[in-house]
Amino acid sequence: MDTPIVIGLEVHVQLKTQTKLFCSCPTFATEPNTSICPTCLGHPGSKPVINEKALEFGAKLSIALGCKIAPHIQFARKVYFYPDLVKNYQITQQDDPLGRDGQIVLDDGKVIRIERCHLEEDPGSLIREANAVLADYNRSGIPLCEIVTKPDMTSPAEAREFLKKLMNILGYLGIFDQDICIIKADANVSIKEKNYTRVEIKNITGFKEIERALNYEVERQKVQDVKLETRGWDDVKGITYSMRSKEEAADYGYIVEPDLPTFHIDTQWIKNVQSQIPELAHARAARWIKEWKIDPVDANVIATDIEVADLFEQIAKKVNPITASHWVRREVLRLMNDNKQTLKQTQFNSEGLTEVLELYEHKKITNKIAQNIIRELANKKFSPKAFVKENKLETVADEGALEVLCKKVITEQPKAVEDYKKGEEKSLMFLIGQVMKHTKGTASPQIVRELLISILK
Amino acid sequence: MIKKFVKEALSGKIDIVAHALKCLEQAEKINQEYHYITEWADVETQAKKLAEQLKNGTAKGKLFGVMVTVKDGICVKGVETHASSAILKGYKPLFNSTVVQRCIDEGAIILGKTVQDEFGFGGFAVNVGKGFQKPLNPVDKKRATGGSSGGAAGAAALFDFPHIALGESTGGSIVNPAALCGVVGICPTYGRVSRYGLLDYSNSLDKIGPLAKTVEDAALGLEVISGHDSHDSTTSDQAVPGYTDVPGVVQGLRIGIVKEAFGETINNDVRKAVLEAVHKLEQHGARKIEISLPYGMTYGIPTYFLLSTAEASTNLAKYCGMRYGAEEQLTGVYNDYFARVRSNNFGDEAKRRILLGTFARMAGQRDAFYTKAAQVRTKIIEEYEQAFKQVDVLITPTVPMASPTFEEIKKLTPVQCYAIDQITVAPNLAGLPHMSVPCGKTGNLPIGMMIIAPHFNEQKIIQVANAWTHQ
Repeated sequence: MDTPIVIGLEVHVQLKTQTKLFCSCPTFATEPNTSICPTCLGHPGSKPVINEKALEFGAKLSIALGCKIAPHIQFARKVYFYPDLVKNYQITQQDDPLGRDGQIVLDDGKVIRIERCHLEEDPGSLIREANAVLADYNRSGIPLCEIVTKPDMTSPAEAREFLKKLMNILGYLGIFDQDICIIKADANVSIKEKNYTRVEIKNITGFKEIERALNYEVERQKVQDVKLETRGWDDVKGITYSMRSKEEAADYGYIVEPDLPTFHIDTQWIKNVQSQIPELAHARAARWIKEWKIDPVDANVIATDIEVADLFEQIAKKVNPITASHWVRREVLRLMNDNKQTLKQTQFNSEGLTEVLELYEHKKITNKIAQNIIRELANKKFSPKAFVKENKLETVADEGALEVLCKKVITEQPKAVEDYKKGEEKSLMFLIGQVMKHTKGTASPQIVRELLISILK
Repeated sequence: MIKKFVKEALSGKIDIVAHALKCLEQAEKINQEYHYITEWADVETQAKKLAEQLKNGTAKGKLFGVMVTVKDGICVKGVETHASSAILKGYKPLFNSTVVQRCIDEGAIILGKTVQDEFGFGGFAVNVGKGFQKPLNPVDKKRATGGSSGGAAGAAALFDFPHIALGESTGGSIVNPAALCGVVGICPTYGRVSRYGLLDYSNSLDKIGPLAKTVEDAALGLEVISGHDSHDSTTSDQAVPGYTDVPGVVQGLRIGIVKEAFGETINNDVRKAVLEAVHKLEQHGARKIEISLPYGMTYGIPTYFLLSTAEASTNLAKYCGMRYGAEEQLTGVYNDYFARVRSNNFGDEAKRRILLGTFARMAGQRDAFYTKAAQVRTKIIEEYEQAFKQVDVLITPTVPMASPTFEEIKKLTPVQCYAIDQITVAPNLAGLPHMSVPCGKTGNLPIGMMIIAPHFNEQKIIQVANAWTHQ
């Protein structure tokens, strides 16, 4: 270990279950303290009952990260006093976590080892007001999966990439809702110059923030004295601040959670969960590159979002996959980005896109028309074939008709013709554009180009 | 007694409202003298509901019209439930515990909550919380009822009407007061009866069970409250057999006498009474075999106190005056406030056990205490499994002595107090069904005999108890 920077992460992911981890309260609520019951309020006499969906989602994630699933899993009590924690202990896992020993591989092939993956309940939330602190327990008991890495990352950028890859896997597994659920991380960071004195940074939200927080902390460690401590991340000020030193570190006094039995995980159950895991982005992109000769950059970009990847595969089965990849990357994804929409928020579907690309592939429509139709497909569902027919948008390839048009343009644009003859290629493009304008974009640009050149010879 | 009453009540021969009010009146009178009840339920409304059912022909249930008292630490919807601790003053549960609901579903009338050692922390029911009165022994008011289900045992002894008391045992809190008050108490197998709605002392040890005057009534209570509950993940889904029709036959039954439970620390009269009872059972065809349980009898107490206090110290963390129960003036940071609420409202024994339990699970101590105790517990369970290869049931005195006076108890150190549990903690640690039945007297004070059976063999202890009481 002689890298300049050493980083390890503990990531908390909210699992997309309908109900909480140990009671049947819904996981979504608008008004404070409306999704609560005696169990998630920790009332005397209430008992936790495991939400098996959360167990399944946790196992799914563990398996997707290459972890081994424990044959028996147990929950534990982590005891500390805080107003947002209804029982003043959190039900989590200590000795027997759900998964152990997994990994995520970064783009450059570097392996980030994952030590463990376990389930735990979220505490409630505190809202600070001028003269009061308000407690909202809607979040109390929300299922979280904690992923703990080995200290294998050597730069803030790697930490960001790790989180991005993790988010991508979560999206593929369908166990995480990017709009509602929150991804939070605690980071351990140390630098060689300060003898790798370990500092923990708590509560960093999102993958952009992780890089920011770590960059700040690394620079801080270079210029300040570093001691063993826990620091918080203030995303408004963009700084980390000291929370407590190592001497004040809490002793959580873990014991086995006695209200929950030991869960014995049988191999059939694991197989069932495993069978629900789709081919993940990395493997999918690799397959496209190998089998369809898709450009590696395009393949990886398209594979990032499972919905876009699924759409692409459906189209690529009907039209040339390389053509499909160009159009999905350059038009579909560009439109989604410009409008800041997810695929679901657009009207795109494989039928419409396949039709338009088939028309394009068979040279029935021009590049320009195809582009226009795709823009429309983002907003409403219709049949491109019928649309093209109705609006007479088929490519005009009739040389006789086009020749008449070309001659007309030549007489209309003497200046451009003159410039072209002087050797200005740009003027030819202008003349082609004029012909296209007359045909509302339906003329085959290649034919127009050839015609103009031969006429002007 | 109860079966006959229920039959009459269902036939409409009894004015159920008048009966209920008469019971309430009698109980209130006894309570003024003996302090068994902490809160009364609305008896009249419940009784009127039953009268209505009788009128429209929907009356039914194994406990129709029977009075049920509930240990204070077991939730009754809308009735103050505080495990006899000042920290829960004013707390009214939003739901019924499963055992209470099952009794109500069988037509029972909830009479009230019975006093106990605060959160179950004691063997004499003298450790009641601040503002609670300790219950007095039904035979001699200068003496303790035993604990922690002291109010339940006293009520079972003195209430002279069809009545079942629901108690709870962590290390002996059902059979101990049953023995000292001269009633029957059954502590079922761990997982036989739902703990949903029980204020946790030590979740891996807590068991709810019935106390009553007769074996038959206690068995009926057990039958009603037993069975799987989706609200408590530690309940078993094994079918519940009938407990009220077990014949009292012991012909050929192998009875193990636990050698260590008849040693020097046991009062002479107690030892003699229990051995005589065993002799009588032999005369009815049982076979006596001496059994040694060195692990359970030697390490039971320390193992029990480490595990139970470790769990208790986490269970009691939630009581901090923020969401329910006692409150204090809101000053300082949350830590100061929590500390003030807890310091002012927990009793001495609760504080002692929180400290002990917190110590046992601290990072530096955990392996030596908490984890080690869990390992010893496994050894104790294995020791019983071995014993039950040779015998069908085990018999011991329930507690080493008859009820001490309050004066005598005052002179005991905490560790001497814990010794009252020396025989009962082992079957509790092992989660085995056990029962105390009255077994003679020393002077005018009752003696209890404890019968222990393998897991989920409640019928066996009832079988022996029936043989003993009907002989």
